Amino acid sequence: MRQRSYGRDRELTLRMAFTGFLLLLVYMAFGLLLLWAGINPIFMVVFGVVMVAFQYFGSDKLVLLTTGSRAVTPEQEPRFHAMVERLAAMADMPKPKKLAVMETHVPNAFATGRNPKKAVIVVTRGLLARLDEGEQEAVLAHELIHIKNRDVMVLTWAGLIVIMAGYLMQMLFWMSLFGGFGGGGRDRQGGGQAVMIMLGVYVGTIIIYFLSQLLILTLSRYREYAADRGSAILTGAPLHLASALSKLSDDMYRIPEKDLRQVKHANAFFIVSALKGDKMAALLSSHPPVEKRIERLRNMQRDLERPSIFTGI
Amino acid sequence: MGLLGVLFGRNKLRKADREQFFSIVTAAVSLRGRTDLRPSDRAGIVFNPVESQFFEELEAELRDLLRVSAHATGTRYEIKDDGYGTRWVVLDDRDFEDLVATIHLVAETVTEHGFGDRLLAAVFGFDYKGERAYCVYNMKRGRFYPFVLSGEKERDNAAEMRLCALMEEEKIPVESSLERWYALWGIPF
Repeated sequence: MRQRSYGRDRELTLRMAFTGFLLLLVYMAFGLLLLWAGINPIFMVVFGVVMVAFQYFGSDKLVLLTTGSRAVTPEQEPRFHAMVERLAAMADMPKPKKLAVMETHVPNAFATGRNPKKAVIVVTRGLLARLDEGEQEAVLAHELIHIKNRDVMVLTWAGLIVIMAGYLMQMLFWMSLFGGFGGGGRDRQGGGQAVMIMLGVYVGTIIIYFLSQLLILTLSRYREYAADRGSAILTGAPLHLASALSKLSDDMYRIPEKDLRQVKHANAFFIVSALKGDKMAALLSSHPPVEKRIERLRNMQRDLERPSIFTGI
Repeated sequence: MGLLGVLFGRNKLRKADREQFFSIVTAAVSLRGRTDLRPSDRAGIVFNPVESQFFEELEAELRDLLRVSAHATGTRYEIKDDGYGTRWVVLDDRDFEDLVATIHLVAETVTEHGFGDRLLAAVFGFDYKGERAYCVYNMKRGRFYPFVLSGEKERDNAAEMRLCALMEEEKIPVESSLERWYALWGIPF
């Protein structure tokens, strides 16, 4: 049977695999560091898992609370519900458990929830008002694909290391404040060595913390591309998403991002603000630049018009 | 979706599964005597169009085919958008088997053009105790489910459950998970 294939995005898959591999290396480096310093990781792991599990299991409720979004019934927002249900049928996934509206005029949307059945899609009033039918459909498809790809699960669990390293960093910080480093200091030489080890661990943990943060943000950007791609395939109209994105981006930079997919923890210390500058801002963003996303969608549209995508299956 | 699909965020649409589609024919024959469930003589097939010249070629061919088959079987047709991003070929024929055959023809043509994954559902209209009822064949799942409207925007779940029992009696493969009984608002017939 012939099947029109939209072509896999090999490059994106490779990039994701590479980022995942690097993340694995960072995990291993962290393990080695702990082993070297003789730190028992059990408390840290338990703390990390509890935090992640809390995010993971509470994400659907948390999001409605913290953003002030209100779940809407099909009677209140029939079009919104009907559109999501049609897209869910097409994507062969269950309709998300809750649809919610956030009362702000800035057009935006996000999705959360640990699995497709518990998922929540939130759109702002501005999105429903300012985007046309095709654009709304494209944005909703993008959010549905986030759910289908289980981005909340992937990113929260990948973020475990950020939480653990952040925890250790804080512990070390407080220990150093209260003179924990010297270990009593009876034996000067031994004490000096202990201080060196602690300093080494401290610096190593900071490096690991920021490396893993960077990698997870990178992964998050790649998953945005993947969701864009999935949306274009689902609606069959890549340019609808492109035009929606350009509308959203007009206003978006003016407000703080309320995207809860981003793994936020222990922004405590300094470095984020120290790294400002255009290139760094791109590295530290959970989303790729809109121009790049639009460019990719344009390429997809071009692919749809090319006879060469005809492949035999 | 498999583990790799999740890990790499890969997405494909599921291809149409038409294996069980014809079970509606035998069921319709044995339901013929009933007075509470009557075919509305209308059916449709719904798909999600792609913005591409190849899809436009497909639609042109569909129109030609439908014109020819209208000539042969007397099946009237209409192509309509529903405002939810999907497009309908609506058919009108008193002969139920002609409806089924024409829907099959449309599905076959769409698949031949390589757009089988754009097919969403085939829908048969019924009058069930005075309410607008539909027998929906979900192409993604290869299963039927009932969809009954009591008003313009209201589903009659009780009637759907009764109709479901009736369908099962007639050996129609019914979708077992209720959350997959997607509401199809805006059916244009």
